[in-house]
Amino acid sequence: MSGAFFVPVGQLAALAPENWPDALFSSRHLIYSSPATLAFNSPGAQGFGVKRAALCIPGSVMLLFSPGCCGRNTSAVGGPDGTYGRRMRYLLLDEADIVTGRYLNRIVEAVREICESADERPSAVLLCSTCVDALLGTDMERVCRRASAETGLPVLSCTMYALTREGRLPPMVLVRRTIYSLLEKAEKQADAMNILGYFTPLRDDCELYDLCRGAGIRRIREIGRCRNMDEYREMARANFNLVLHPETRLAASWMAETLGIASVELTRTYQPEKIRAQYAMLGQVLGVRFEDSEHFEKASEKLAAFVRRHRGLTIAVGETANADSFELSLALLRAGLAVAEIFATVDPAHAVTLKCIAELSPDTRLYSNLSPSMLLYRQKEGEVGLAIGQDAGWYHPGCPCVPWNGEAQPFGYAGLCALLDEMERALSGGAPCAGGEA
Amino acid sequence: MKGLLKRLTPFATDQSGAVSALYEMGGLIVICDAGGCTGNICGFDEPRWEHTRSAIFSAGLRDMDAILGRDELLVKKTVAVARELGVPFAAVVGTPVPAVIGTDIRALARMGEKRLGIPFLPVTTTGTGLYDAGAGMALKTLFERFCPVGDSSAAEEKEEGSVGVLGATPLDLGRSEGGHLAAAFLRRGWKKAVCYGMGAGLGAVEKAGRVARNVVIAPSGMESARYLLSAFGIPYSVAWPMVPRRIVESCAGARRVLVIHQHVCACAVRRALEGAPSPQGERQIAVGSFFERVPDLIRTGDFAFCDEDDLAKVLNGGHWDCIVADAFLGRVMDGGAAGRVRWVDLPHFAVSGRLVEDGDCADGIDPGDLLTDAPCGGRSCER
Repeated sequence: MSGAFFVPVGQLAALAPENWPDALFSSRHLIYSSPATLAFNSPGAQGFGVKRAALCIPGSVMLLFSPGCCGRNTSAVGGPDGTYGRRMRYLLLDEADIVTGRYLNRIVEAVREICESADERPSAVLLCSTCVDALLGTDMERVCRRASAETGLPVLSCTMYALTREGRLPPMVLVRRTIYSLLEKAEKQADAMNILGYFTPLRDDCELYDLCRGAGIRRIREIGRCRNMDEYREMARANFNLVLHPETRLAASWMAETLGIASVELTRTYQPEKIRAQYAMLGQVLGVRFEDSEHFEKASEKLAAFVRRHRGLTIAVGETANADSFELSLALLRAGLAVAEIFATVDPAHAVTLKCIAELSPDTRLYSNLSPSMLLYRQKEGEVGLAIGQDAGWYHPGCPCVPWNGEAQPFGYAGLCALLDEMERALSGGAPCAGGEA
Repeated sequence: MKGLLKRLTPFATDQSGAVSALYEMGGLIVICDAGGCTGNICGFDEPRWEHTRSAIFSAGLRDMDAILGRDELLVKKTVAVARELGVPFAAVVGTPVPAVIGTDIRALARMGEKRLGIPFLPVTTTGTGLYDAGAGMALKTLFERFCPVGDSSAAEEKEEGSVGVLGATPLDLGRSEGGHLAAAFLRRGWKKAVCYGMGAGLGAVEKAGRVARNVVIAPSGMESARYLLSAFGIPYSVAWPMVPRRIVESCAGARRVLVIHQHVCACAVRRALEGAPSPQGERQIAVGSFFERVPDLIRTGDFAFCDEDDLAKVLNGGHWDCIVADAFLGRVMDGGAAGRVRWVDLPHFAVSGRLVEDGDCADGIDPGDLLTDAPCGGRSCER
């Protein structure tokens, strides 16, 4: 192994997905562990994994029953205000528990004790199971029913089954359904919509709010903005759901069947024309016309001005960011910037975007963060002038970096403008990446 | 309720301890998991990982691997990477997934070793034990393999003035590097201090039979010390030569003191406090630990904690004047008791994930050996 494996995008785009190199498939090799892969191995270590995501239900508490190792990192990931960590409880399993299954009775006892000892009665209890129960085939619905009968509280199951992350129903898809599962059918409000997809709200300055309000949608609800269960329950009254993340499709489909709320899906993109096209399509569906010209002009001009100021800038794009690395790379290339490297996990769904990137920049190198050869990655001195994404930053120590993985979710023109502001800040001497020692 | 944590979070587990002991040895470490354990081990329990690359990999097990028992595939992947990286050995570290499906980690290691011709170390951790058990297991496996009984090259001549330090991991020391630990031993007059796993790698392990004496600084080093005593006749003592001076100063005037940490460190703090003048007369100093304890250091009135409830009873009902422990454990104190007690923070990385301040390392007291020339066949550590 002479260095980190990469494939030029031009070469990859010419291949059918079944002929892509093994290094791009995580199932065909060991998975390298570095800070750049932390978000893959342990999504909850930064941002949202199953534990933190499930606690989006206001006032809920979680009982994680597992060997100690599964809950070890929780104290480090308490969220910005630390409140998430305070809502976690643990029931540690030893080998005898696992062999005998006796912990299943103790879960109910533990839930009762948690409820009795809490200063404030929780709104719901989430029972989080791990790979151990995935393998044992534990009937979690039964355990939840028993615990609910015992305490009189809603008790929900959520599954942190890393073993199934590449399966049909990965943990982050299921948890997105779980967090809405306490909603009950309610009378609809014609002027209400939900935004689904993220666990934290969109940026406050996102034009989507104004555009929707201008179209008569006065009540816009997101789970990340619900302060209590009353506000949470109001989400059941939405006229429709706006789905912004594909992993929410299962939840949206459940809400359509159970609550009668239809959904429209948009994608996060950093290309102004695509943003405009999406708003136009949404308008068509809703039977309104969104007046977004001003936002479009402003974002387009800001992008053009950035490119004028930084002509020749070469960027490395990572995947630990609030963006699809391929879509963002394409957006930057179309704007006239250069993208030397993409660090990402590619799948056949990216084939079309890859072809577009290949047309503009066939030599852009695609690396898989997960490939064992990334242990040998060395940056080409002086090539990359800006890293976007925490992982890209780790590979380029000392290089200006925009981690772009904050809590407030970027979307639309406002998301693009905020990204450009951050890029400008980084290039004008903002804190560089800490990076990894070569 | 036994095993229920309402205010604390879980402590570092055996798999983290094992990886910590092996981290600087230059081998390939394969954590036999689905990814989450690797994330916890590296992202939370291994402070060196943020700034120093190491060949740690997740097996990336998926449900079908577990259902079909695809051990052969795992060996193939491991051998491919080990061959490409040219590592001197590979270690296969167990987690709950192989424990539940009954993977034979030893057989995996034998298959890999046969295939590639380099040592494959099986580390049969399960994710349910505590870090010291895993660190001890990995360290002893390493010595047995790379410094075997009867290896004449390992013991051909003793290095006068050299001391081997056993049991050092960031989980015990709260530091990414062991420079201050080595310095503490040099201050004792040793010419060379070899901190296995923190500054001294595989080359030092291979020559472990040559050191004049070993010093155990954490219970995880006890089994290795016993092995090196029986294999090479190297005597060992038990010591923690760097009790922060501020701890002793902060406990001034306290008559009833409770010290909680890993057992060797906690007993060293007790020794340091006993050596300090106490104007109020004789002090009562108890030691408590969640982790393995060295039997010869246990005194009547000491505590072995099993869980949060155990700790809460002792903290809230003990009428302590002063508690020396990681501040994180203070979460279990009732409001009233907390108001009466002076809490002196002694970070323990395996408990809270907090590192020790530079000042604590620079200004330490060496309370001397806690045990000298401990026996070969002594009692095993107990929990």
